[in-house]
Amino acid sequence: MTAAPLVLGKGPGTPGRVRRILTSSQGAQVTAIVVFIGAWQLLTLVATRVPGPVEVTQFLYTEITGGSHGGIVTGQFAEHFAVTLRHFSIGLFIGFTAGLLAGVLVGSFVIARALLNDTVLVLLAMPAFVWAFLTTMWFGIDWRAPVLTVAFAAFPFVAVNVAQGVRSITPELKNMSSAFGVSRWKQFKHLTVAAVTGYIFAGLRFAIIVGWNGILLSEWFSGQSGVGFRTRYWFDANRYRGFVGWVIVFIVFIVVLDRMVLNRLQARAFRWRDPVEVKAELSNPDFDQVGA
Amino acid sequence: MARLDIQRLSKVFPPPQKGADPVTAIGEITLEVEGNVFVSIVGPSGCGKSTLLNILSGVETPTSGTVSVTEGGRPARLGYVFQDARLLPWRTVIDNMLYVRDDDGALASDTAARYLEMVGLEHTHQMFPGQLSGGMQQRVGIARAFSVDPDLLLMDEPFSHLDAITARSLRDHLQQLWTATRKTVLFVTHDVVEAVQLSDRIIVLAPGGRIFDDIAIDLDHPRRAADPKVATLQAEILGRFEEMYPSNVSGLTPGDVST
Repeated sequence: MTAAPLVLGKGPGTPGRVRRILTSSQGAQVTAIVVFIGAWQLLTLVATRVPGPVEVTQFLYTEITGGSHGGIVTGQFAEHFAVTLRHFSIGLFIGFTAGLLAGVLVGSFVIARALLNDTVLVLLAMPAFVWAFLTTMWFGIDWRAPVLTVAFAAFPFVAVNVAQGVRSITPELKNMSSAFGVSRWKQFKHLTVAAVTGYIFAGLRFAIIVGWNGILLSEWFSGQSGVGFRTRYWFDANRYRGFVGWVIVFIVFIVVLDRMVLNRLQARAFRWRDPVEVKAELSNPDFDQVGA
Repeated sequence: MARLDIQRLSKVFPPPQKGADPVTAIGEITLEVEGNVFVSIVGPSGCGKSTLLNILSGVETPTSGTVSVTEGGRPARLGYVFQDARLLPWRTVIDNMLYVRDDDGALASDTAARYLEMVGLEHTHQMFPGQLSGGMQQRVGIARAFSVDPDLLLMDEPFSHLDAITARSLRDHLQQLWTATRKTVLFVTHDVVEAVQLSDRIIVLAPGGRIFDDIAIDLDHPRRAADPKVATLQAEILGRFEEMYPSNVSGLTPGDVST
């Protein structure tokens, strides 16, 4: 038995390991965050109206825990966030349900496709802020405006993806099922539902991201509470640290939701399509795959 | 013992476009198959081979005539191998095997696993079809068809989309499976050499969906393509085709039947 040669810089805890961590994709992500915060801090030195990361963090701490900041009462974070989540959930449920129905119709029937396909594509091209304007004009300062903004924004993304999923069930697979005498229930469960599931997640994921953007604008214009309302509140009060703080909360929420939940759910639902890529994606979710 | 009884069967499709004539896929076929035999149906493209299998499996309905597929007086259970594997891409290999079975318990899983092993795919249970090559997918398709314990197995040109080496390997797998199970098989192909290697009986269809010839192959199974007896018989039958087709079947030349 011979002893293995000792190689400096290659074992655990050595500079080689540190180098590997720093040059890994996780290391690059951490580096990007550090560089961003550093650049942000540097920006505050030359731009007096840009609040720094420390100021914003202090503001958010006060906003969450309660207290006074510059004479303005704070500590309503949970209340406003809950209002937005409520608006968002109801709107998403409406948009998702309508999108699911429309998607099944468009994917299944030629007539429905002729009737609805162009409409869905037009809605797909409509920016969320247009819905925020329109719903505010229709309903004024009312909870229906943010709810319907989310619903309208989410609807086409769900519909298009579900239609694509339904169309992915080829006549050949249906014939195969019939030839083997597979029961209708089993066909529905393993053929129809299973084929559409991945596409539903893809549509839902994009719908959530687009709907979340829409609700900020809608609550900004028409809300009396909520994240959008609170963001505008601090903007109107000329307290930029509050404005930036709430925008960061808004962004961090959707990024975390996407990376921790939506991306993984979609990757799992589509693991049959890209089994190798999914393995990599699960370990390193990538934001640019939102519309995949 | 499975019994296939086809009486005066015809299938005419509507005109493909306005002003065109209806398309006769099957003219009028009467055919009886009984016992644990491997029967090949050979013929050029468009002579109604696949349509015949689709009618037998219930995917198509005949224009006239009757079809009866029974096993001991009851309707026979069918298995089907298609030109492409037709696996559910979102289900694993083992789930695809279980999808076509009436039961999905431990016995079904054991049966599915046994047939996958017989085609050399015991390591692929949890893989998705997209992770398999075309040849491996078709092997799953063959194992799936055998695993339902069919009384009659319908095979529609199952090797036509594969390269020659893979197709030869799959023919060997199919012969092993068939020798072990002795199912009644109706095998559609346009390859005469393949038909001679595999079959006990060859039905030759002509354009217009008529039976042109019915040839018995009296050789032991399994057969190797390079076996001199098989090669001699293949040459003899090909010679018959070359002599008979131009003079007896309008519009059909020897080149229409793949060798």
